[in-house]
Amino acid sequence: MALSTIGGPERKLSIGRKLWEINWGLVLLVCLVASVGFAMLYSAAGGSLDPWASRQMIRFGVGLVLMLAIAVIDLRFWLKFAYPAYAVAVLLLVAVMVFGTIGMGARRWIDLGPFNIQPSEVMKIALILALARYFHGLTIEEVGKIRWLLIPVAMILLPAGMVMKQPDLGTALLLIMTGGIILFFAGVRLWKFALALGAGLGAIPIAWQLMHDYQRRRVLTFLDPENDPLGSGYHILQSKIALGSGHIFGKGFLQGTQAHLNFLPEKQTDFIFTTLAEEMGMAGALTLIALYVCIFAYGLAIALRARHQYGRLVAAGFTGMFFLYVFINVAMVTGLVPVVGVPLPLVSYGGTSMMTLLVGLGLLLNVYVHRDLQLPRRLDGGLG
Amino acid sequence: MIARFLQRRQRRNPCHPADLQAPPSLVRLDGAAKEVIETGRTRLVTAALLFALCFVVLAARLVDLTFIRNDTEPRVARAATLVAKVDQFPVVDRAAIVDRNGTLLATSLRTASLYADPRKVLNAREAAAKLVRVLPELSQADITERLGSDRSFVWIRRNLTPRQQQQVITLGIPGLYFHGEQRRVYPQGALAVHAVGFTDVDNNGLAGIEAFFNERLRDPARAHEPLSLSLDLSVQHAVRDELLRSVAAHKAIGAAGIVLDARNGEVLAMVSLPDFEPGQVGEASKDQRFNRNTLGVYEMGSTFKTFAAAMALEKGLVNMKGGYDATHPIRIAGFTISDDHPKKRWLSLPEIYMYSSNIAAAKMAVDVGPAGQRAFMQKLGFLGKPAIELPEIGGPLYPRRWNTIETMTIAFGHGISVSPLQLASAVGAMVNGGLLVQPTLIRRDPLAPLPADRVISERTSRQMRQLMRLVVEQGTGKKAEAPGYLVGGKTGTAEKVGAGGYKRKSLLTSFVAAFPMHAPRYVVIAMLDEPKGTKETHGFATAGWTAAPIVGRLVTRIAPILGVPPVHETPEVRSAIAIPGFNAPAEPGRPQPTLQERKLASF
Repeated sequence: MALSTIGGPERKLSIGRKLWEINWGLVLLVCLVASVGFAMLYSAAGGSLDPWASRQMIRFGVGLVLMLAIAVIDLRFWLKFAYPAYAVAVLLLVAVMVFGTIGMGARRWIDLGPFNIQPSEVMKIALILALARYFHGLTIEEVGKIRWLLIPVAMILLPAGMVMKQPDLGTALLLIMTGGIILFFAGVRLWKFALALGAGLGAIPIAWQLMHDYQRRRVLTFLDPENDPLGSGYHILQSKIALGSGHIFGKGFLQGTQAHLNFLPEKQTDFIFTTLAEEMGMAGALTLIALYVCIFAYGLAIALRARHQYGRLVAAGFTGMFFLYVFINVAMVTGLVPVVGVPLPLVSYGGTSMMTLLVGLGLLLNVYVHRDLQLPRRLDGGLG
Repeated sequence: MIARFLQRRQRRNPCHPADLQAPPSLVRLDGAAKEVIETGRTRLVTAALLFALCFVVLAARLVDLTFIRNDTEPRVARAATLVAKVDQFPVVDRAAIVDRNGTLLATSLRTASLYADPRKVLNAREAAAKLVRVLPELSQADITERLGSDRSFVWIRRNLTPRQQQQVITLGIPGLYFHGEQRRVYPQGALAVHAVGFTDVDNNGLAGIEAFFNERLRDPARAHEPLSLSLDLSVQHAVRDELLRSVAAHKAIGAAGIVLDARNGEVLAMVSLPDFEPGQVGEASKDQRFNRNTLGVYEMGSTFKTFAAAMALEKGLVNMKGGYDATHPIRIAGFTISDDHPKKRWLSLPEIYMYSSNIAAAKMAVDVGPAGQRAFMQKLGFLGKPAIELPEIGGPLYPRRWNTIETMTIAFGHGISVSPLQLASAVGAMVNGGLLVQPTLIRRDPLAPLPADRVISERTSRQMRQLMRLVVEQGTGKKAEAPGYLVGGKTGTAEKVGAGGYKRKSLLTSFVAAFPMHAPRYVVIAMLDEPKGTKETHGFATAGWTAAPIVGRLVTRIAPILGVPPVHETPEVRSAIAIPGFNAPAEPGRPQPTLQERKLASF
């Protein structure tokens, strides 16, 4: 079997060998999901590659190369890189508060000439790496003690607070939940989660006071979609109509009326799942969900198979984040949770989230390639 | 144990590569390390189960939306059986909609759609050539291909006219059939599209009256009984025409207009621009489909001073001779409230209203207090959704914390957003003797009791009429004058809210009016979104220059249609609408001194 030949802790693998070791089944699944996205963007533009599908394809191509490059870089590099990456992400978040470009009423971007950078996206990856590294260095007894948990909790809440100030409630919650998932996988006792959840629920009245009006309105709209003068309830109603009208096998590719007649807002980004459900029906929607489930199964299996805590936590943490994206997006368009701006991974139009996810998938593949690496718990001084 | 179960499951799961299975010989397990791995695995498996559960929920939701929620929506199959029934009994299955005078706004026409069973077509090429001669818009190649296919059903063309149908029958081609259909048509086009609404291809109402009364219009028992609206198409046309003209002249991005019967709440005209042709909903933008009158809510600006004045009069805090000091701007909590045309002196109530003083309006409201103001706004219906027979209803926006500063800004129409329809009914209550009548788009039965609540006294209402008339005679609303019809009203120029505060250049101008002021019958509202100044207005884009003239022209046009005679201003009429000391002699009842008498007096 393949793994006996790569198992040795000291053996360095050639790039070619590593490429051979990559989990190509997972790569194929990712390509399949992205292709569903291309097809839906083609349809959302009324049967045209312009303006969305062609750009999405180029981005995916670039991201795919980046993903493979990340996968073959030695895992120990990513271990060393974890804390610096986190520090840089925090600095970027500070920078965006000071110099950020204001778009759509929020300060989220840093303009770097040819491209923009969204520090909250960088933080999503950096947080997973840094938390995994932290817990990699702890014993199970230490994980059980509260004082060892103060640092990781601070590591989660600091960026989450900064993102919340931008204001971007959705991403802040995503960071907190992703952090919580890693804590869970690291073996933090369950009653502590119950405690945190209780505290969180208790804080809701306070949070309500601190919320922006548009955020409150979204929550209220979720509770009563018809009570909305400015149209955020409109999204959900139209979305539900479109979902229902697709029936079992849908109206056919390029035949959706809700989406094509522009009844449905944001049809190419956050609400693309609706376009799919309308044109391909329930069968198409469930097929896409099944593809996602396969990706999660791969992710969790890779986590299970990794022989070091770092790899396990990186794989599980990223899989958890990916899961949150899919779940929140689908739950949102089907009206199960309020509208928060979370895209459907690899399918929604948009370069930033696509890059984040492909970098994350690259790390997942990386863990698989280096699954049998022997990583000491305490790193040498050189790794500091 | 669970981990072992998962391992076993993995082996059977084709999704997993076989080598994900860790060979036990390679894992060295001492106590602590073993515990770490065991905890980690248990947690991973737990997470996998949780993920799975979440997806079961999502899948269930999708199934739910597809099947269960869909029951009330029409099915193709159901539509087909309905059509079959129609073929047996030649009736339409959706009642017509007419205006108050019986003019047709929406009706259903029976049409025939042509389809073919290609297996029964003898010669596809020949049949296509013949068809194209009768229906020249079809492509011969396309039809040949369709008729030559081996399917049993292909559409040729939907909704033929009777003449076209007869021509196709005359061709005598075997294998061609007609399917009876119904098509909703709107003879008035875009004229009242936001009120009437439109239907989908299966004739289900999607918007407007069509959606609100969908059940009633579909009711087979009442299919022959048209639904009679309160709209008057000639008034509707005049409003739309004047608004279109002003939108073009001032390069505005939109406009809204309402004519409301102040006595019984009937809406006689309701126009929202930009609009669209009901037959081309697909091409209409979101902006065009948006009904500004009921779905849109706006900060109305100075028109709200009407309610500040009425509230203070009603509470007895001020009378027509009383007033407030507007010498200095108000500074509160880092904001400054100042006047656009500062007089820097004490102002009487008529002056406050006529010169539109923010400072005095704010002081007046503060005297009433936040609770009193909130209660008054509630009574006027500004804190709830307006009840009208449309699904496109927007709720108002108002502050949750209603303290002194909010009270001040609401007094001059900022910090509270309401729909033009709400504004129209509240103004109706100001002028009709003090009754807030629920507005309606359906013609009222004159014998039925009127749904109305008293909001101010007869006396306050009379004073409000005098104040509104004064604005048109001497204040900012002079351009709304329509000789003989005694128009009264109030201008409102609000800066629109944009990113980071109010935008000084983007205005929302409105004029709320009623006529004739000695016995008000109709409320008229005209609103322009982002009008620009022109040479004729000397570059001004404020309400007095852009919205008021619309009302002036409009009243001249619609008063004769509505049967309102021009009034000769007798002393009785004069004393009813004028304020002593402003546009009436100081002592009511005494004749105005002639020029000579005045000279003597001023000696």
